Amino acid sequence: MGAYFFKRFLLIIPTFFGVTLLIFSMTRVLPGGPVETMLMQAQMGGDAGGGFSTQNDSGQVLSPYQIEELKAFYGLDKPIMTAYVEWLNKIVRLDFGESNRYYQPVIDMITERLPISLTFGLVSLVLGYLISIPLGIVKALKHKTTIDFITSLAVYIGYVLPTMVVAIALLTIFAFKLNWFPLGGFYPNNYGELTGTWEQIKGIFPHVVLPLAAYTAGSFAYLTMLMKNNLMDNISADYVRTAVSKGLSFNRAVLRHAVRNSIIPIASQLGGLITVFFAGNFLVELIFNIDGIGLMSYNAIVERDYPVVMGQLAITVFLTLIGNILSDVIVAFVDPRVKFGN
Amino acid sequence: MNSLTKKKLQRFRSIKLGYYSFIVLTVAVVLSLFAELFVNNRAVMVHYNGQYYFPTYTAVNSGRAFGLDYDYEVNYRDLKQHFQEENNGNYVIMPVIPWGAYETDSIPGQFPPYPPSQRHLLGTDGTGRDLLARVVYGFRVCILFSLIVMFFNYLLGITVGCMMGYFGGLTDLVGQRVIEILSQVPMLYVIMILSSVLQPSFTLFVFIVVLLGWLSKTWVTRAQTYREMGRDYILASRVLGAGSPRVIFSHVLPNILSTLITMVPFDLIAGISLLTSLDYLGFGLPAPTPSWGALLREGTENLESIWIVSSVTIAMIVVLVMVSFIGEAIREAFDPRKYTYYR
Repeated sequence: MGAYFFKRFLLIIPTFFGVTLLIFSMTRVLPGGPVETMLMQAQMGGDAGGGFSTQNDSGQVLSPYQIEELKAFYGLDKPIMTAYVEWLNKIVRLDFGESNRYYQPVIDMITERLPISLTFGLVSLVLGYLISIPLGIVKALKHKTTIDFITSLAVYIGYVLPTMVVAIALLTIFAFKLNWFPLGGFYPNNYGELTGTWEQIKGIFPHVVLPLAAYTAGSFAYLTMLMKNNLMDNISADYVRTAVSKGLSFNRAVLRHAVRNSIIPIASQLGGLITVFFAGNFLVELIFNIDGIGLMSYNAIVERDYPVVMGQLAITVFLTLIGNILSDVIVAFVDPRVKFGN
Repeated sequence: MNSLTKKKLQRFRSIKLGYYSFIVLTVAVVLSLFAELFVNNRAVMVHYNGQYYFPTYTAVNSGRAFGLDYDYEVNYRDLKQHFQEENNGNYVIMPVIPWGAYETDSIPGQFPPYPPSQRHLLGTDGTGRDLLARVVYGFRVCILFSLIVMFFNYLLGITVGCMMGYFGGLTDLVGQRVIEILSQVPMLYVIMILSSVLQPSFTLFVFIVVLLGWLSKTWVTRAQTYREMGRDYILASRVLGAGSPRVIFSHVLPNILSTLITMVPFDLIAGISLLTSLDYLGFGLPAPTPSWGALLREGTENLESIWIVSSVTIAMIVVLVMVSFIGEAIREAFDPRKYTYYR
């Protein structure tokens, strides 16, 4: 099995190259790059300024020579493959370059926002599991009773509604109508004055509740359904019947045997979660105006800030690929029946 | 139709929640195709000087055609009132909701968005367009979008997946690598980058979404085809001399189709969610197209006009929950596990 996972790790390399090269060339080939954006802004600025004109005869703000220089500055003057190899060379040394818009190292922009996304990722993860596993167990045991039906409605709505719509609904009801929570942002206005970790946490708390609920809603619904269905399968399996007929009480048979087996598919989700810490749901961050990594990469796409886009992409793809393998490792670890590579 | 399929259909029909959701939703989709007859600012029928007019799908009628003093298109709501006042046998039959999805209304002395009233049952959006009309036409747009995208996703995904599973070997190996790379590409990124550059029309937008959307279907089809290929009946049909097309189309496909069908409702939900999210961000369909996502965006920008957000959210919940009921019912009908336990 070691050889199998080693092979899997090696396969990360071509996939990583493939994905990054694809997006990299896309950012190059498609119009609207940083130089063009700049030219457009300069043109509009020139028109608005009126008084002085830097425009030459062709109506361009900048001379072809200046444009070439700008392109060289952004590294756009080289052929795609050369530029890509250069980018790759830097990436493997963890040099993500500088933002086209903010002239700040990409890595700084990411680390600055990491605590926010990390908070949401971790807390919603723990919360999701803490709610959905017990709820799934209860729903499976009380299949087709009132409790099952009522919770099903909540689960269904959480499952089918896009996270974004859940976020908007929460914002409208609890922040706007009822005024229980602030409308957005992560830090309270007086955050600078707060001293001590406890005070700071208390200040942030109301800002976190709604986004967290939105974050958790989707995964909670999915996990609950997964848990319930797995457990129902396992309860009706032969080994539970055997355990009960050997004299074990039904509840003990379920909790000791069936539940443990039902958690395996849920454990297989764990690997993919290392991206959760990083990616952040940009829609939730956008709606609640939280300056996390999701919002940063969204803005980077909108503003064509390609070094940021590429940097974020590289990390996400890498983590996703590692996460996929991690999932399999976890499954192999918790379930001795699973043998990979045979 | 073989007896197994009949049994599945029968089971589906016996699951009331899913079955009725299916009927209601199908009727809603079919009606929405003719939404112009129910939600429109053009009359369904006009009776004027002994002649009948059906202006819904025909060319624009100018005001003069009905004895009014203007050349631009008739305002049928005013015409109706006008005829009633004249009271000489002419009449206008308006649709149930006499407002178009693109038509802006202005009430003197007020600024849009107008709250719900007799005039606009759900209120209007920020430019004074009837919200109910926008929601109805938005439903049509997103369900059609989702269905079309799904059709192409399945067509491509099943074709490629079947090929990979059937031929195996090099086809499978190359296919796997290519698809693995493509499926790692963040779809939302590509769609956002492409659609901000290309200003997509409906067709182009469908194309962009299908471009990466079909991949997920190949994995399932491939795995299923592999499983079927190992079965004895395939070997038997081979021995009897069946060629590749026959094996694929009359043996493998019907057998894997039942697995694929259970996924359809959930893909429909995913399609609607995707379109709504993209429209919300402004990377979706071009501007005046009625869409739920665009309405949500407007609603979040004017939270005081709570009717915008609440109408769209409720409409989405109703439609999506119904779709998921259908999905659960299909799943149960195709895989009837009797959960019996011994305690």
